[in-house]
Amino acid sequence: MTPGHLLLIAAVAMFFGLLGGRGAPRLWLTAMLVGGIAALLAAIQVFVSGAQWDWRSEFSVCGEPLHLRLDAMSAVFIALLGALGGAGSVYSCEYWSDKAHPRSARAGRMWWSAQLLSLGLVLLSSNGLHFLIAWELYAVSSYFLITLDRQKREVRAAGWLYLAASHVAGLFLFAFFAMLAGRTGGWDLGPMRDHAELAPLFWLALFGFGIKAGMFPLHVWLPSAHANAPSHVSAIMSGVSIKVGIYGLVRFSGWLVVPAAAGWVVAVLGVISAVLGVAFALGQHDLKRLLAYHSIENIGIILIGLGFAMIAAGHGNAAWGRLALAGALLHVWNHGLFKSLLFLGAGSVVHATGTREMSLLGGLWRAMPWTAGLFALGAAAICGLPPLNGFVSEWLVYLGLFDSLIAHSAAARAAVPAVVLLAMTGALALACFIKACGVVFLGAARTNASARAHECGPMMRGPMLALAGSCVAIGLAPLVFWPAVARAASAWNPAWAGLEAPPSLGTIGVANVALTVIAIAAVSLLWRRTRKNGLRRALTWDCGYAAPSARMQYTAGSFAGIITEWFAWILRPLRHRQIPDGAFPADASFEEHTPETVLEQLIEPAGAGALQVAMVARRLQHGRLQAYLLYIVLGLAALAAVVLFGGGR
Amino acid sequence: MSSSVNLLIGLAMGLNLLALGSSRMPSVIRIVAAQGVALGLIPFFMEDRFGWLVALVAAGTVAVKGLVIPNLLHRAMRTAKIDREIEPSIGFVPSMLLGAGGTMAAVDGAQLLPLLSEHAGTLLVPGALASIFTGFILLIGRVTAISQVCGYLILDNGIYLIGLLLIHSTPLLVESGILLDLTVAVFVIGIIMDRIQRAFDSLDTRKLTVLRE
Repeated sequence: MTPGHLLLIAAVAMFFGLLGGRGAPRLWLTAMLVGGIAALLAAIQVFVSGAQWDWRSEFSVCGEPLHLRLDAMSAVFIALLGALGGAGSVYSCEYWSDKAHPRSARAGRMWWSAQLLSLGLVLLSSNGLHFLIAWELYAVSSYFLITLDRQKREVRAAGWLYLAASHVAGLFLFAFFAMLAGRTGGWDLGPMRDHAELAPLFWLALFGFGIKAGMFPLHVWLPSAHANAPSHVSAIMSGVSIKVGIYGLVRFSGWLVVPAAAGWVVAVLGVISAVLGVAFALGQHDLKRLLAYHSIENIGIILIGLGFAMIAAGHGNAAWGRLALAGALLHVWNHGLFKSLLFLGAGSVVHATGTREMSLLGGLWRAMPWTAGLFALGAAAICGLPPLNGFVSEWLVYLGLFDSLIAHSAAARAAVPAVVLLAMTGALALACFIKACGVVFLGAARTNASARAHECGPMMRGPMLALAGSCVAIGLAPLVFWPAVARAASAWNPAWAGLEAPPSLGTIGVANVALTVIAIAAVSLLWRRTRKNGLRRALTWDCGYAAPSARMQYTAGSFAGIITEWFAWILRPLRHRQIPDGAFPADASFEEHTPETVLEQLIEPAGAGALQVAMVARRLQHGRLQAYLLYIVLGLAALAAVVLFGGGR
Repeated sequence: MSSSVNLLIGLAMGLNLLALGSSRMPSVIRIVAAQGVALGLIPFFMEDRFGWLVALVAAGTVAVKGLVIPNLLHRAMRTAKIDREIEPSIGFVPSMLLGAGGTMAAVDGAQLLPLLSEHAGTLLVPGALASIFTGFILLIGRVTAISQVCGYLILDNGIYLIGLLLIHSTPLLVESGILLDLTVAVFVIGIIMDRIQRAFDSLDTRKLTVLRE
């Protein structure tokens, strides 16, 4: 079967799920799995053969012939879509079941299929007009998925914010594609590397796709949307949807000529996103919001890779750019895998306890060992710890940056701070996930809700296991996955053709396997010894206090307090404190909340100002007929003046 | 020919100012009727080759504007028991000053327009512009529905004057259609005014602002 046949099967299955999935969950799940696997296989075929699939229709849709193209670059994202779409579909059957959510489960299935279908179309479309149509469909279906639980006020607010941001992004993309079509004379897309006059259009694409990707400071919609959506939706949004923004940037920076400064701007935005994303994550007390800010951080890492690749492409296609780009693309996969795993784990926690608030959780590992273990694995992967996949892709980005230093390239000066800040990001991410895992899964239960938690069922555990397995697989055998990103890199820049892997990648694979073997041996040894000798339980050291309670544990805020203090200039945490006073203090309290600074300090005041101006203009509409007639007279007079004196005669 | 046409248009322009200045409803209606008659007579003087078609249009205009519409308005006033005094939101004197200024501007401004040579000597275009302007002043400056109808009629007279420029190329059907529209509109407005009066005890259009959205 050719990729075309497989994609047709996938599309038919998705379409079937869209139309027939409302009332029949099992049938729907089968269709989704068939569709996901078919898309994944199509991508794999492209990776193996290296040939792109290109199809033009005889008929036309909206006045343009349909033009679909699956090259290695699209295939990277299609593979991710197929894998995460399938995993999320299985997960949703238990997590958002008809029984628990009679009002929204059916609609949820329909919009889920619609979103996967439209995302696939965005990734395959090679015609600007159809790209925009698919893009809007995807934005709208995403909105309905985010607001599945729309009885809650904050969910509706998050949905509106998402929709507004989507519209702004859409506006930029309409401008981008329209101007592209205007200057090239057609909507058809493809490599246009010899049209130097198209370069300034890249800024429009950067804005439009940057909003979707959640690049700092255009990320304002992302935290609330990810936090308030159902977890399988958060997983696909973080795993695939925001990657579509990256896809747009990668796609059009590869196909078009970019301005000379574009690479630098993307790299700087990447560094800012990475560092501030993790800083904001540290300030969060909501588990899913914390994960959402880590998406911004990881988008930053991907952008660093892409930015340096663009710089390299602009300076004679230096080889280190290929490594940076390959690292970025592999990180697209890796972040998709481990972030979905983490969101599904968070969903399992929410499902069991009914809250996302970390200070109400605690001690969950006893009740939910699978969730705790898999979440910890995802956390280790996102922190870039060996032997997992995050380490491999970040290694490639680092390798690109180091090679640019060694080559004394134009980017060498920028590479040093980028490396330092990337390393800092990794360290902060580690701190943040120690906080998240520690507060949620370790210690003692802080509330009854977390004390009564239960492990999730097989339909939720299965997808998490599969995602965790892929994280381990990429970590242990990076060379297996290398050809895919190498082919995508050569699709991005033909000068970087060839499949040869950097030698250290194989070494890393071997080292990771060795590390895994040693770790497994050590764990089994420890396990055997504890089984033999038994465990002795004792009180933790309690500073001499005789009656410790669960409330005396480290909270999310206190654990991260020192680090958030470093970033207080941008986090601007709100604190309400009542300090204990006197020998017998009556009561004391401390509350801390980290707002979305860019949204609340920048965008909301600007929006309020715009609204005020609009309200002034609104006074013109008051319902008095006489005044309306006056407007007409004035309008006519103005037109007459324009005609008579405007030089048009 | 041209002098009698100009005389009639001049009369209509004078009636414009009179309409702006009068404070009683029945007299405004009478002024509008007189203006309609004066304008309706113009085709008789304009035509060198006097055709039955043009005569029909002229006679119809005189009949509808001079008799039918004023009658409808008077009847509406009687049934709705409308106050005979006009409440202006732009006072009578300012209205007249505005109207006079507008008339002068119209005469002046018409010279800026690229007109055919046979129309350049007449007051047709200035008269049309002045009537349209007067109609707008009445529409904007008066608050009761019935005085707005009068403003609308004067506005229509201005449009009719512009239509006279094209009398040869406009078919009879269009002319009679316009007349019929006008009659029906006034008829309907008469009924609506009655209904509004019964429902709200007032015909002040300033109070009809609830449905603005």
